[in-house]
Amino acid sequence: MLERHLVQTRGFRNTGPRDAPTGFEFRLRLPSYRGLRASLIDGVDVTVDGAHYGYESNRIELGGREFTLTELREAVDQRWELDEAAIVRVVKPGGLTIGVHEITVGVRIRQSYIPIEFQPSVVKESRKATIVL
Amino acid sequence: MSTQAFKYGVSLYSYTDDLGTVMTLEDAMANVADVGATGIEILGEGHIPGYPKPSTGWIRQWSVLLERYGLEPTNYGCWIDTRLRLSRPMTAKEGAEDLARDIRLAARLGFRFVRPKVGVISFDLVPDPIWEESVERVLDLAHVSNVIICPEIHAPTPIRHPVVDAYVNFIQRTGTKNFGLLIDTGIFQDRPLPYFPGETPEMRRDFLNGIRVDPQDFLAIAPYVVFIQAKFHSITDDLVDEHIPWERVVPVLKQAGYSGYLSSEYEGERTPWASLEQVRRQHALLRKLERTHDESHRSIS
Repeated sequence: MLERHLVQTRGFRNTGPRDAPTGFEFRLRLPSYRGLRASLIDGVDVTVDGAHYGYESNRIELGGREFTLTELREAVDQRWELDEAAIVRVVKPGGLTIGVHEITVGVRIRQSYIPIEFQPSVVKESRKATIVL
Repeated sequence: MSTQAFKYGVSLYSYTDDLGTVMTLEDAMANVADVGATGIEILGEGHIPGYPKPSTGWIRQWSVLLERYGLEPTNYGCWIDTRLRLSRPMTAKEGAEDLARDIRLAARLGFRFVRPKVGVISFDLVPDPIWEESVERVLDLAHVSNVIICPEIHAPTPIRHPVVDAYVNFIQRTGTKNFGLLIDTGIFQDRPLPYFPGETPEMRRDFLNGIRVDPQDFLAIAPYVVFIQAKFHSITDDLVDEHIPWERVVPVLKQAGYSGYLSSEYEGERTPWASLEQVRRQHALLRKLERTHDESHRSIS
């Protein structure tokens, strides 16, 4: 089963060569009561230790496929299920330092049944998580 | 005068955030059965692994669990995501295809009611006009599948509202037996919900303070109501619901002769396992009120 946190403990790591990371990634639980077609996900905002990485640039992997925001908005054939962690990838030359970080996500979901004035719904959560390698 | 008995059920929505993190489907079903409930309500996209095409193994397991815990499938929740794409609106034909997909799956799993949640076009939740053609296109399928399509009347939409009138007109125009109303008891909420974490008075949406529909309004639409989601948020140690006036709602449902399901829909604090305890409290409270009502009517007849 997945952890209660949205950002999962396992999978928080730097990406790219070990000696020259190009960014970081983490696994994310869907903050919803139903699985969704990927086009209803309008990206994920990420903040680590006060530095903000906007939803327009972060990439999301679902079902083994990586999506840019533009691709995600048309991805009506891809689903994100409640029991499946997505992988969120952030570009950050040099990666994150080894140790404990404060990570905040803002998961942007477009719900058709909520008046458009209140859309997208943004579900935010913060936690501490540790880069090991 | 004898009154018809309610049927008691639970929606798995009640266990949101617990299911899949600290609770399995079987844990949930065991808890539903333990309060003496006979009905289980699910959300297709929320609770069926491999949705919309679950494996035959999962479908077999679903049947095994229903049998083991003595539960019957009641209502199946689905969505017509009219804003599926940012680039263009959904067509009525696409809406019908999505609804047909869910009716077929619901029927295969034994459900008798299908609740589509349709995208809205206004602040007071007027559904996208494609709803009418989308539903009309699948009425025959619903008929042969033996399911009733039932959109929910949910806060901030009250009972006396053009949205409800449009649904009733649709039933009268088509003469269908496969479309009805689902009432979410959140419309009767008469005290404010607590602020959610981080919410400020400026952010508060009015309806969260309760739209206070008069339970008596139920009588006018009772003939069209096929299912009730017993929405609630918090019940105290003394079995007092802090938001929904059940002591005024239950007698009206009785007066209307409602004999369908009261399907618990807990929508309160999401600390692990709080949902399990809250659902039990609601069943204790509702059964107590039903018993009290029945006894008082027996004594005067």
